[in-house]
Amino acid sequence: MARLELNSLTKAFGAVRCADDLSLTVEPGEIVAVFGPSGSGKTVLLRMIAGMFEPDDGDILIGGQSVVGASPERRGVGMAFQNFALFPHMTAQDNIASGLRAKETRSDAAARVKSIARLLKIEHVLGHAPRELSNGQKQRTALARALIGNPEVLLLDDPLRNVDAKLRYEMRLELPSLLRRGTAAVLYVTQDYREAMAIADRIAVLINGRLEQVARPDEIYGRPASVAVARLFGDPSINLAEVAPCVEQGGVFADISGSRVRLGPVDRHAEDDGACWLGVRPDDLLISAAAGEGGIPARIVAVTPMHEKAVMLLRFADGMEWLAALPSEAGIARADEDVFVRFAPEAALLFDRATGLRVGLPHRRYAA
Amino acid sequence: MDHSGLLGRIFRGVALTLVLVFFMFPIVWILMMSFQTNEQILRIPPRLLFEPTLANYEALISGQLRTAAGNLEISFMRNLFNSFVLSSAAVVLALLLGVPAAYAFARFKFRLGETIAFTLLSFRFAPPLLVLLPLSLYYQQLGLNDTYFGIVWVYQLIALPLILWIVRGYFEDISPDIEHAYRLAGHSWREAFTRIAVPLAGPGIAAAALLSFIFCWNNFVFALILASADKQPVTVGALAFVTASGIQYGQIAAAIVLSVLPTLLLALYAQRYLVEGLSLGAVKG
Amino acid sequence: MGMLELRNVDKVYGSRGKPPVHAVRALDMDVPSGEIVALLGSSGCGKTSTLRMIAGFEEVTSGSIALGRRQIHRLPPAQRKVAMAFEGYSLYPPLTVRENIAFALKAQQLPRSEVTRRVDAIARLVEIDDILDSYPRAISGGQQQRVSLARALVRDADLYLLDEPMGQLEPQLRAVLRGRIKGLLAERGMTAIFVTHDQAEASALADRIAVMEDGILQQFASEKDLKNHPANLFVASFIGEPPMNLLQAEVARNDGGFGLSVGPDLVFQIRGDTLDKAAQKELEGSARLTVGIRPQKVAVGSGDVRLRVVSNQWLGDQSHIAGECAGKLLIAVTPQRIAARPDDVVPFAMESRHLHIFAGDGTCIHHAEAA
Repeated sequence: MARLELNSLTKAFGAVRCADDLSLTVEPGEIVAVFGPSGSGKTVLLRMIAGMFEPDDGDILIGGQSVVGASPERRGVGMAFQNFALFPHMTAQDNIASGLRAKETRSDAAARVKSIARLLKIEHVLGHAPRELSNGQKQRTALARALIGNPEVLLLDDPLRNVDAKLRYEMRLELPSLLRRGTAAVLYVTQDYREAMAIADRIAVLINGRLEQVARPDEIYGRPASVAVARLFGDPSINLAEVAPCVEQGGVFADISGSRVRLGPVDRHAEDDGACWLGVRPDDLLISAAAGEGGIPARIVAVTPMHEKAVMLLRFADGMEWLAALPSEAGIARADEDVFVRFAPEAALLFDRATGLRVGLPHRRYAA
Repeated sequence: MDHSGLLGRIFRGVALTLVLVFFMFPIVWILMMSFQTNEQILRIPPRLLFEPTLANYEALISGQLRTAAGNLEISFMRNLFNSFVLSSAAVVLALLLGVPAAYAFARFKFRLGETIAFTLLSFRFAPPLLVLLPLSLYYQQLGLNDTYFGIVWVYQLIALPLILWIVRGYFEDISPDIEHAYRLAGHSWREAFTRIAVPLAGPGIAAAALLSFIFCWNNFVFALILASADKQPVTVGALAFVTASGIQYGQIAAAIVLSVLPTLLLALYAQRYLVEGLSLGAVKG
Repeated sequence: MGMLELRNVDKVYGSRGKPPVHAVRALDMDVPSGEIVALLGSSGCGKTSTLRMIAGFEEVTSGSIALGRRQIHRLPPAQRKVAMAFEGYSLYPPLTVRENIAFALKAQQLPRSEVTRRVDAIARLVEIDDILDSYPRAISGGQQQRVSLARALVRDADLYLLDEPMGQLEPQLRAVLRGRIKGLLAERGMTAIFVTHDQAEASALADRIAVMEDGILQQFASEKDLKNHPANLFVASFIGEPPMNLLQAEVARNDGGFGLSVGPDLVFQIRGDTLDKAAQKELEGSARLTVGIRPQKVAVGSGDVRLRVVSNQWLGDQSHIAGECAGKLLIAVTPQRIAARPDDVVPFAMESRHLHIFAGDGTCIHHAEAA
């Protein structure tokens, strides 16, 4: 039982800051997803914890002990790599057995390999060399190798990246219970927000080496800390509009493409007056043929069905484009139709235009 | 795209035969010469059909060279043995030094790293004659002249750059993550080097070793100056066939066949390692 | 008569010493003018070979291809009047983005102002108007892909061929660009065929989707038809996100029709009069067969099938709940959040009318009621 603590980690390669004052705690048995766009420093972070790079500044504690400077084999860290990194000259069995740290008797080791292989459904390929395995089997072998030693800290570097969609979906269902089998503190790097939400207890959103938000999946999705975080969660991603909200008649209102729209009650955005980004998720938009209060006129440019939803590209009178995602059954609207767009006031998210932070939150970056 | 017509197949067969004859001719001719006497070889016009004789090989193995001017002692078998000892020792020494060095150059960025690597390579294109004179003077002072150790020491300079540069490329092709994965499982970097990196670079190491063995085997100048009769390799020993009563073509041909044989066998044996894929599909390809 | 007609097209790759690879088998396809078609399948299914045969980079082994009544399968690529965007982008490194796009218009000998107008318009559409003067190596992969798309779409061609046109696009931009490109293709009545392995992309852009596997066209229909009337098990399990739940059922004849029992407490009653003759016959002749139900049609929280929950994942807009059912995972997808934790036992509900029934050879003999 050991907790993983990162204290103000900083790392730069030349002028590129890959980690900028990163602090994060992962409890034993907890799965934290590190999520961010490519190049945001996710992999460098994992590699600092594993001991392949040393941080320029800050500390890494595992079970209260600093591991900075310790060589990788002494850190008690297990890792699964995006490219699997299997040993090509060993069978799957030997690959997995190499993950056993303690010197165990041969029969003991074989039994443990067998049990983890059964769990990951690769028992039948244990005698095969990596080149004889499918991508899915390679990935499961790599996972087994990382899990078998019961490491205190488990690092997973986008392990589902190189497997096909169907398998990825299956693994998304299986992984959480697999990872929670032991008491390892798990850091799970991914570029897929759905994978992060499905697998993790908490998500750490990493952008340009900084943690923008660390919170439970539903909280990040529903109450993103900044416009950058909001844009990363959701497919299709959130609609944005530049607005200048104003308070009148006991509510906050804004003009969107010439239409006055209510955004919420006054107390919700007490301090607002300045320029804002308005964000509304495509799922929260309602489309109707009838005009009425709060309806913004728009034309449907195209309907592009996706993931059992009808996604519509809407163009407003001022040329701005938004996407609406409606349940397929409600597929009444067609391309080139003129419609009216509405959304509930509580669906509106406001972000400060200058800082990008969500209005209504204390103005500080999240720290765990 | 299918040239399966009869005419096409005949044409292809003829063309292939012509190319093969053109390239293989010198080797075949030497092989034939080695089974002929000097008189048969020098016949004009030369004949393709002859009565084969093993006299040349007998002479080489027994060390008795019969010429018109009388009997001559030669030590061809001794030379062959010397070649073998010198080249193998040089290659083994170069591997011990070169493989870890190649690994270091492939995995670590250090100050002057590229410069050092390039300097080592530049030994290959410096003309040997340039260093020969100072080298032999130093060797005389150090007492290394005409010792196996001294010659091996020079020979490994031929082998080292080749091994370093070839093996380095192979190490660079191995994903560092494979070694990281092994280390995270609780193994030291030494274990990662010997159990992961070296086996994976095996085909490359074999190729480099074979190539540098051939280079050492073929060396002439260093051995000519630094070695006396009993330490001479075949390349220098072959000079003995230029005798007072003429050049012994038959024996030269037989000597060539015998001296090519070890490297040829080695190459044939190593071929399957050389062809074997490097990474074997460990990293997603 | 289609605008593009593929007739009995075969492609065999032969190499010495190895058995020949039959990449495409007896492919028949008609694409009417103005239609957008997706070739969808996993890698090695023959979709890219098909596209390359239409473009002319690959010879047909047998069969014919006609475009607007011209037989084109013997013509060199340049004479086929097709425009293509390559998966690897293939931008010309020494040219700027603007020159790369304009290069495609060279052969048409348009006036300079017209070239500029067209390049600007397409650049705005795919949002590369700010990098028109950059060189390919200076822009990101997603931007390169957009340039490659623009270079194909800017041309006047009878047919547009796009190889994985959007795979590398930035996720935030993808949905909007899909809409714009679909709008553009529709507005100009362009005929397009694109290859993809991503069914979300296929269903978003295409009017009809050709599902391929093992070189064989499995089904060629609209996304809705593929979902509601899958021709066989392969299409049923390939199309849909997440894939259709497939369960083994024992068949029992009874007075109302047939009982299909998946487990002791899960029996679907199928009324005989809802089945056609062939389906009835198939059911009478088999003891076990496969039934399928879409995850979206499985309800959670009510119903009389009690299953142990394996996982319950909320993805922001929908919940995915996996329950253990007869030794397999049964997936349910609902837009609501469901309060269930792993190992809870929760009621699930499935209705017979949502069931697809598959014969032993994989063909679908009975479809679910259309949504």
